[in-house]
Amino acid sequence: MNTRLNIREKRFVAVVAAIALVFGFTPVASAMHIMEGYLPVGFSIAWGGICIPFLIAGYLSIKKTLKENPKTITLLAMAGAYVFVLSSLKIPSVTGSCSHMTGTGLGAILFGPAAVSILGIIVLLFQAILLAHGGLTTLGANTFSMAIAGPFVTYGIFILCKKIKINRHVGVFLAAAIGDLFTYCVTAFQLALAYPSESGGVAASMVKFLAVFAPTQLPLAIIEGILTVVIIIGLETYAQPELNDLGYLTGGVK
Amino acid sequence: MENSSAKRLDFVRTNEKSDNSHHHYKHHHQIGHKHGEGSAIDYYAYASKIRGWNPSFKVAFSVLTLLLCIVLNNPLVSLAVIVSMAYLTVVKGGLPLGAYLSVLMIPLTFIILGTVAIGIDFSRQPIGQFNLYLGFGYLYTSIAKLKEMVFLMMKVFGAISAMIMMTLSTPSSEIIGVLRKAHVPKLIIELMNLIYRYIFILLDVFNNMRNSADSRQGYCDFKTSCQTFGNVASNMLVLSLKKANAYYTAMEARGYEGDLVFLEDEKPFQISQVIYAVGFMLFLLLLWYVTK
Repeated sequence: MNTRLNIREKRFVAVVAAIALVFGFTPVASAMHIMEGYLPVGFSIAWGGICIPFLIAGYLSIKKTLKENPKTITLLAMAGAYVFVLSSLKIPSVTGSCSHMTGTGLGAILFGPAAVSILGIIVLLFQAILLAHGGLTTLGANTFSMAIAGPFVTYGIFILCKKIKINRHVGVFLAAAIGDLFTYCVTAFQLALAYPSESGGVAASMVKFLAVFAPTQLPLAIIEGILTVVIIIGLETYAQPELNDLGYLTGGVK
Repeated sequence: MENSSAKRLDFVRTNEKSDNSHHHYKHHHQIGHKHGEGSAIDYYAYASKIRGWNPSFKVAFSVLTLLLCIVLNNPLVSLAVIVSMAYLTVVKGGLPLGAYLSVLMIPLTFIILGTVAIGIDFSRQPIGQFNLYLGFGYLYTSIAKLKEMVFLMMKVFGAISAMIMMTLSTPSSEIIGVLRKAHVPKLIIELMNLIYRYIFILLDVFNNMRNSADSRQGYCDFKTSCQTFGNVASNMLVLSLKKANAYYTAMEARGYEGDLVFLEDEKPFQISQVIYAVGFMLFLLLLWYVTK
């Protein structure tokens, strides 16, 4: 094949680049839920299965908290509603696009990762029912990436930063942003596993999915990090007693 | 500056609790993703003409259709599902076509990005029917891949239309009722019931806060918007925690002892509907078998 482009081909490349740019700058980026019907049945079941141990752990932990203190039921429900509302809000963005937070990162920092796994699957179900984001058959995969993997990484980094005494707000930013990025990588991996590239296998396919979603997800992770810090600063200023209250909910942050 | 579309009512509170508030707001029916479509789905579910059908039947029918659409993985089956679900929702359910399309288009960006990533591939050699040299390798695709892409899109749309047939005709409280009958643990059901109710309360809180922040130039530029967003979100958490305590007291005052019981409408099965549904499933299977 001729390696030099003729004018028509060059024009075609320019048009494609322009389209790519337009898509890159006006993303309707929800937090990358895998859509209904996108995963083959085997994968839907497998991801659901992987979630089960985490969900059982979360269920037992919630049950224990409730037994000790029945009052937490309304608190937990409010926490779930809060994560849902947070994830459905349009966040400020420079380009006028419409994007949303994951919200589960903040949830993990405030309420602890175990509770977030159960609240997360409920929130994801409501997102499918009320917002048409995500779906029923992809619930398992989405729960794993958004309600389990992301929050656990967020929580881990948050605790790690606390241990090595990095500035608290920097820690929160890193935790939320990296948790978000991790969710995005896990989702790309889930997609790549279901649709491997025929010439390069899963790895090549993963690179493709990462590349395609990068323009929407990278800025989103940074904005999510910043917003989480702003929210935490607000809470520290106005809600110290409530933050202390949350401690008993989960053994989370005091 | 947050554009005016944000002020267009994002969250119409539309369940029974707020009958008097929703007709102040105008719905714009247009194709494309709109922010806050969410509660609009809830509103459509309550307004649907097939709301009276038995919810267990609707959930089972929608989930089975969804599964068939994915398992059979056949473009004709997908097409049949898309057409019949649109018929059920728009003609039987009485939802305006524009509204239906706008809900169907919510996942459009994901579908476009996701299928493009599948249809187009990189390689060091020029293979496939169409390829483009990029300096370091070839971007290529082939008729077979494009076909796979289109079929996948159809499958996804079929699956989505099966799911939104259910969500656009069955209010969430009824879906939770079905889950309860399917023996989902009681704790989860209680949490779901409470979360569903609290979502609308928090949205109300959020709308008030956003309006008052907006009237004080809280969204005048990007930096201020971020700050306002953070303040509103943290304040919302404080308020929601206070409300949670108040609601627990209110529940206790009404005799709550660890069991939440909700009243549910009795909606009997109609045998004819079940027969139609089984017929439809058989038709899908037949269609798959013939065109396999």
